[in-house]
Amino acid sequence: MAKVVFEKVRKTFGSTIAVDDLDLTIDEGEFVSVLGPSGCGKTTTLRMLAGLEEPTGGTIRIGDCVVNGVPPAKRDIAMVFQSYALYPHMTVGKNIAYPLKKRGVREPERSERVQATARLLELETLLDRKPRQLSGGQQQRVALGRAMVREPEVFLLDEPLSNLDARLRAHMRAELIELHRRIGRTMIYVTHDQLEAMTMSTRIAVMNAGVLQQFATPADIFHRPANVFVAGFIGSPAMSLVDAELTDPGSDGGGDGEGRFRVRCGALDVALAPGLLRESAAPAPVSLGIRPEDILLGSGDHSAAVGVVERTGHESIVRLDADGTPLIARAPGDTPIEAGETVRFSLRAERLHLFDGVTGQRLNAENR
Amino acid sequence: MHAARAKVIWSVIAWTIVLAVVFPLIWMIVTSVKPQSELFSIPPTLAPETITFEHYVRLLTETPFLQYFRNSMILAVTTTLVVVTLGTLGAYSLVRFKYRGRETLATLVLFTYLMPSVVLIIPLYLMMVKLGLANTLTSLVIAYTTFALPYALWLLRSFMSGIPEDLESAALVDGAGRMGAFFDVILPQALPGVVSTALFTFILCWNEYLFALVLVNSDSVRPLTAGTMNMLITAFNIDWSLLMAASVMMSLPLIVIFTFLQGTLTKGFGAGAVKG
Repeated sequence: MAKVVFEKVRKTFGSTIAVDDLDLTIDEGEFVSVLGPSGCGKTTTLRMLAGLEEPTGGTIRIGDCVVNGVPPAKRDIAMVFQSYALYPHMTVGKNIAYPLKKRGVREPERSERVQATARLLELETLLDRKPRQLSGGQQQRVALGRAMVREPEVFLLDEPLSNLDARLRAHMRAELIELHRRIGRTMIYVTHDQLEAMTMSTRIAVMNAGVLQQFATPADIFHRPANVFVAGFIGSPAMSLVDAELTDPGSDGGGDGEGRFRVRCGALDVALAPGLLRESAAPAPVSLGIRPEDILLGSGDHSAAVGVVERTGHESIVRLDADGTPLIARAPGDTPIEAGETVRFSLRAERLHLFDGVTGQRLNAENR
Repeated sequence: MHAARAKVIWSVIAWTIVLAVVFPLIWMIVTSVKPQSELFSIPPTLAPETITFEHYVRLLTETPFLQYFRNSMILAVTTTLVVVTLGTLGAYSLVRFKYRGRETLATLVLFTYLMPSVVLIIPLYLMMVKLGLANTLTSLVIAYTTFALPYALWLLRSFMSGIPEDLESAALVDGAGRMGAFFDVILPQALPGVVSTALFTFILCWNEYLFALVLVNSDSVRPLTAGTMNMLITAFNIDWSLLMAASVMMSLPLIVIFTFLQGTLTKGFGAGAVKG
């Protein structure tokens, strides 16, 4: 097992900055997801770690060794590609044996290890087939097998589930969690699917436009997003983010006399829970973030017109228009609510997210 | 009914084309086994009355045909090896490595292919003389390489660009070096392209006449084309029997090669290996 460290890592392609000043320390045995939209630099980050791209600047360390300039073969890593990249002219058995062969593992040990890996992934009966004779799920397992057989220090997975159908993907998610638990190696998983990242990772690195936005546990990423981007990117449906004005008790007309900040956006005027904001917070334009589950429909001080209602069975996603402010709420599946109605609602004031209107950085207190 | 008639019509058209193409070949074979006396008989006979192999025996025992054959074989095999080696490595470089002027280089290569090779004969001959290579097989290998290589580069480049880069990355991560990945993964994938290139080059060398006529002038280094023409076609006489027998013998290697490589040529590559 090995720790992976990125120090001020930078990668440019011509004038395009793919990864900018990345600092990231991944502990031994962690399962870290690198999450972000297409083109955010996550795959480039992984390829730099694999040695398939050379960083333009900065240092990458695996264990105690700086690996800049070290060829991929010498890094003791294994990688599963989005396309699986199975060697088409080799059988499943030869595909899995290839990394062993290249590292000089001799027969019969080689066959034994291939067999053991195949048993683990239930591929024993497929060892003589060619990749094109396998289903997507089987190909995926072969790709995993080829990565596992050598027992490398670090596993790199580049969107390995994105080509599978939804049912198989859910199954493979569970398999990967189980695999990680069993072999306990450091795994770095690149994905644009937040569900995969949230369910599998010990920590998530959220990236956007080549910059690391936040590196934290799934719970922290969800409950305490570091900035507007993370807030809007994580959660489905997404957090409602609206431009608002933060006022404080000292300024005229804003406070309620109890030392509580208020946040105002059009007709929406909410008193914030005490201690929600950090000490340094001052009246200013802000972005107010409200998760769909923190809008309680039925009664309350606020009212809104109901737009589209999406019913998924166990829940309803309700789009609201609170006097020009668009909000998304989540309600139980059987909530009797129809488009065109006016509903009353309240907000869970202690769960609101506030971000600086200019920098987009979180204004909530450390633990809120 | 309509479909059946269409099928018949198409079959007739197809067989007419096949016959038109095959007839000269049949005539060549038939003529090569006819006795001299039957050669110019009127009306001509399609099936020979007596079959004789005397022309073949004469060709192999009384003429330098075998020497020419050997020269052609050395020439074609060597050129093919050179072209395929340089072509695969060059095409790989053009596809995978990013360097300044890569596209310009590829276009320039194409331009050399567009230039009629005839204009190169005299300069090449003078160069060979200067290099002391005139009248050697090496001079022909060099000459043939100059016009087979551009084509090989372009053909292989298109094959190589169809090979997913992930395959190579996977090999690198799995422990192969650059050359290891090339031989283990890229080359097997590009095999149909390599085979077509090899075949193209071999045929080109085997059938080439003009350069062979100009660059070499002694029997010890003449290939089949120039040698046979020189030996059997003179200002006063064309020895048709021997010429046809020689033609049959010259076609044999190509027929054998095609028979064996047909499968590889048509085989699809990389199918189902990579999704997405």
